[in-house]
Amino acid sequence: MGLLTIIKKVKRKEREMRILMVGLDNAGKTTIVKRLNGEDITTVSPTLGFNIKTLNFRGYKLNIWDVGGQKTLRPYWRNYFEKTDGLIWVVDSADLARLEDCKQELHAILQEERLFGATLLVLANKQDLPSALKLDELGQVLQLSSITKRHCHIESCSAVNGEGVLKGFEWLVKDISSRIYMFDH
Amino acid sequence: MSVTPQKVLQTIKSPTPRYLCPLDANKYGVEFLKFVVADNDSKTVVYESPSLEGLSLADLPPVENEDQLRSVKYTFPRNFLKFNTVRTALEFKIGPQPLNDFRMIELHYFKNKLVRTYDFSFGFCIPNSVNTWEAIYDLPEYKDDQILEYVKNPYGHKSDSFYFVGQELIMHNKAEYQYV
Repeated sequence: MGLLTIIKKVKRKEREMRILMVGLDNAGKTTIVKRLNGEDITTVSPTLGFNIKTLNFRGYKLNIWDVGGQKTLRPYWRNYFEKTDGLIWVVDSADLARLEDCKQELHAILQEERLFGATLLVLANKQDLPSALKLDELGQVLQLSSITKRHCHIESCSAVNGEGVLKGFEWLVKDISSRIYMFDH
Repeated sequence: MSVTPQKVLQTIKSPTPRYLCPLDANKYGVEFLKFVVADNDSKTVVYESPSLEGLSLADLPPVENEDQLRSVKYTFPRNFLKFNTVRTALEFKIGPQPLNDFRMIELHYFKNKLVRTYDFSFGFCIPNSVNTWEAIYDLPEYKDDQILEYVKNPYGHKSDSFYFVGQELIMHNKAEYQYV
């Protein structure tokens, strides 16, 4: 409970969190956020920039930045790292052909200094598909055990049937709040 | 004298008598594509802007004054004021240049008095991107006599929206609202 924590909390607006959501294209990022807010998910199209969603969740105001994952957009991700409290990496668990690509992009982004303080939530999406890789296998392929310097959690989910989405966000928000809003309790 | 975010936040307390930047201040090609207002609990849409995509300039009705292009009048059902949570969604396009530090400040007035301020920083915008910003927020709890006030004063509720790139004002839009 150092001075830095106090300054950090005083400096930011009341109980706000900035969450950055990235991952390869077609992983389901936009659909997950829509599902979180209970919106229609039948009309989602590829994100050609960002979708920002500002909403209240468990007493916090979340600003979720869902940035498009197409190859041409990935070089721009770094423009959104600043002040990020939570990083959500979304994986298409059934896109086995691109898992290696997915692993490399994830580990590249974790090298970013401006994200060192961010909690990491990996959402293993599309678990409703029969070909989806299960959590432990996915964790191995993505080498999550090598991530030791930050709070990290993997949650299986399906944006289509809603399973796991809330649980993932609940973990993330709880982890962030215990780090930066420790005086609230 | 240039109009900065600080100046807007500190000095403007009632609707501005004129626009604080010319239309061509938007040299970055920022374009609004869609605006939706909905009740977030029932998901009922109360306003959806007509889609401008695919329309050419010739399709648009002639305007006498170009300022008409940046003012809009909204009619909302009065039960809007009883919604618990509202969802607004804005979709916009960015020109070929990247934008740094893109920010919106919107001031709302009722009977010429400032009642609410929204200040949101989009930050960086990718060149040629299409972006959305959805805000889901709780409405203040209006008492019945307050609602009646809004209903009895059509267009008494006004707003000024200012869009900045860094310290530079690039767009200024106005809106008026009535509740029926």
